[in-house]
Amino acid sequence: MFLSDFRKEFYEVIVTQALFQCDHVQYTLVPVSGWQELETAFLEHKDQFQYFVLINCGANVDLLEILQPEEDTFFFICDTHRPINVVNVYNETQIKLLIKQDDDLEIPAYDDIFRDEEEDEDDSGNESDGSEPSGKRKRFEEDIMERTMKRRQRREWEARRREILFDYEQYEYHGTSSAMVMFDLAWIMSKDLNDMLWWAIVGLTDQWVQDKITQMKYVTDIGTLQRHVSRHNHRNEDEENSLSIDCMRIAFEYDLRLALYQHWSLFESLCNTCYTSASLKLWSVQGQKRLQEFFADMGLPLKQVKQKFNSMDISLKENLQEMIEESASKFGMKNLRVQTFSIHFGFKNKFLASDIVYATASLMENIEKDEPGTDNFIKALDSLSRSNLDKLHQGLELAKKQLRAIQQTVASCICTNLVISQGPFLYCYLMEGTPDVKLFSKPVSLCLLSKYLLKSFVCSTKNKRCKLLPLIVAAPMDVEQGTVIMVGIPPETESSDKKNFFGRAFEKAAESTNSRTLHNHFDMSIIELKMEDRSKFLDALISLLS
Amino acid sequence: MDPAEAEFLAEKELVTVIPNFSLDRIYLIGGDLGPFNPGLPVEVPLWLAVNLKQRQKCRLIPPEWMDAEKLEEIRDQERKEDTFTPMPSPYYMELTKLLLNYASDSIPKADEIRTLVKDTWDTRIAKLRLSADSFVRQQEAHAKLDNLTLMEINTTGTFLTQALDHMYKLRTNLQPGESAQSQDF
Repeated sequence: MFLSDFRKEFYEVIVTQALFQCDHVQYTLVPVSGWQELETAFLEHKDQFQYFVLINCGANVDLLEILQPEEDTFFFICDTHRPINVVNVYNETQIKLLIKQDDDLEIPAYDDIFRDEEEDEDDSGNESDGSEPSGKRKRFEEDIMERTMKRRQRREWEARRREILFDYEQYEYHGTSSAMVMFDLAWIMSKDLNDMLWWAIVGLTDQWVQDKITQMKYVTDIGTLQRHVSRHNHRNEDEENSLSIDCMRIAFEYDLRLALYQHWSLFESLCNTCYTSASLKLWSVQGQKRLQEFFADMGLPLKQVKQKFNSMDISLKENLQEMIEESASKFGMKNLRVQTFSIHFGFKNKFLASDIVYATASLMENIEKDEPGTDNFIKALDSLSRSNLDKLHQGLELAKKQLRAIQQTVASCICTNLVISQGPFLYCYLMEGTPDVKLFSKPVSLCLLSKYLLKSFVCSTKNKRCKLLPLIVAAPMDVEQGTVIMVGIPPETESSDKKNFFGRAFEKAAESTNSRTLHNHFDMSIIELKMEDRSKFLDALISLLS
Repeated sequence: MDPAEAEFLAEKELVTVIPNFSLDRIYLIGGDLGPFNPGLPVEVPLWLAVNLKQRQKCRLIPPEWMDAEKLEEIRDQERKEDTFTPMPSPYYMELTKLLLNYASDSIPKADEIRTLVKDTWDTRIAKLRLSADSFVRQQEAHAKLDNLTLMEINTTGTFLTQALDHMYKLRTNLQPGESAQSQDF
């Protein structure tokens, strides 16, 4: 199996592993973090295996061209990246895509894009035919007319095809979480378990935390999962036959969207969650005052609030969620509560889905020890199993560090006006000496930082036009090699459909300036480029997008 | 004997499962198994039951005695008597542990059962300790204990025999000691 490692939708890996283990299917798990690794790994394994399952990679490019497989290798692709490359869609033999039926794909019709090549041959064949001279001349003229007509038609068809493909491939976005697709697969095979359901939930929450899907899609998917949750977990209401406390239970929660608040203190969590920190503008002195007013409004003493959440007074914790929601709406934060799920097992362990998301993300991009990416991936995979709680707790601690680093960087960027408008987009470059900049040499952390930066910027600026611009953030990736990692994210609006055009834009800009770029990531809007080429690349982008 | 070995022997006990697959009769060295039909209960050894459960291919049914009220009666009975009462199964401890580990979702009131079995175990081990203690004090030559299970015997077995060995050595070394001469400077 191949799968992308920096993409955290690897919860479906666990589901697939579980399914394989139930049926004693032999498999090899290979995490890959980019196209190059995918190619190398494929070359290594192609002689031994016939069936490849690609998880979260491979749908948005012409796979057969890149990998050049044999005739009898089959690929099963379960990928959230859209748009799906048309070759992959219309290939009937070697590539099988696993997608949910109601995912609305807008694939162009077959005839609009593909056309048989034989029609050209017929025209040239007709030339040699012909018996009488006079008839031949007339037919010759007619032939020429026909051929020019056909050629014009063909050019029109090609122009339309280019347009259709351009429209289709222009914007990148994400479909239903692969974890959910895998869970559906397990359900159809009647092998679904509460465990797998939990992993599907975490996969969906990951998409939401990383802002890859719209709010509506999130709510719809939560509704679907809610049905499964009640199906698996209805025995908890029955007092007579309730389950042992050690069994895992999933419960639906309408809980606060403060990151990691149950494993941290309420104060820290409020300061380090993007939504609250941006709305209260916590990078300014006034913002800090508003924070204190906020707590005073709720009647929570500062001393309590700065303590670990579990040690807060029970009387304060009782109606916490409703209290916070009321006060929050007075301060302009209307959506502080979100629908999500929590997991319970044993007496001590209660986690919200978003907690697990942050923990595994930070484990996967752990820069503390210089281990190869696959080790981090395996560690993160281990932390998802319930017998490895110490790894999960390690992940939670790393996540706290990561969130704090993000907030501090965002605060310093906004205070020092590092976010500049370049015309069609906003741009921010993190200098080498910035604290924690090494954390942001990894794609997912950098993406999180960019989203938080954009949200905070939108709240802080008074310029109406700037609020609607997308953002590009660049950070040094490898100082010795002089590379920079660049990420582009779509603008932050209420009704944003999260479609990202930077993938194609980056490609075109790189071509036109001959910059040394590496489009290695499965997400096209993340690239690496050489530091020296940065300015000309940006100029090209500006002229492309204005 | 290792507790792990005792567990291994316990895994031969038969339990009832309800499979969700179908398979013809299989002929193993230890005996025949099956045939398996989805939805119909079948008796299999514990090792197979646990393996099938882990692969989600069956549902385990707890044995008859694994019921909160029955276990409560057994525990009370054990507390009243001075000697050991017969246990519902010679491997009750191993069975409880394995079933509650792997199949606690199919056993009603699993937490209560765990507590009750542990209580019974504690009472019996306490009685064992007491009887070992009085055995040593009164320097008996042999003792007879009924209704002990293999796991309980294992907990005291090694210790008791080694302790008695030591005591024997000490006792046999007492006589020559009286006529031993002390060392002169």
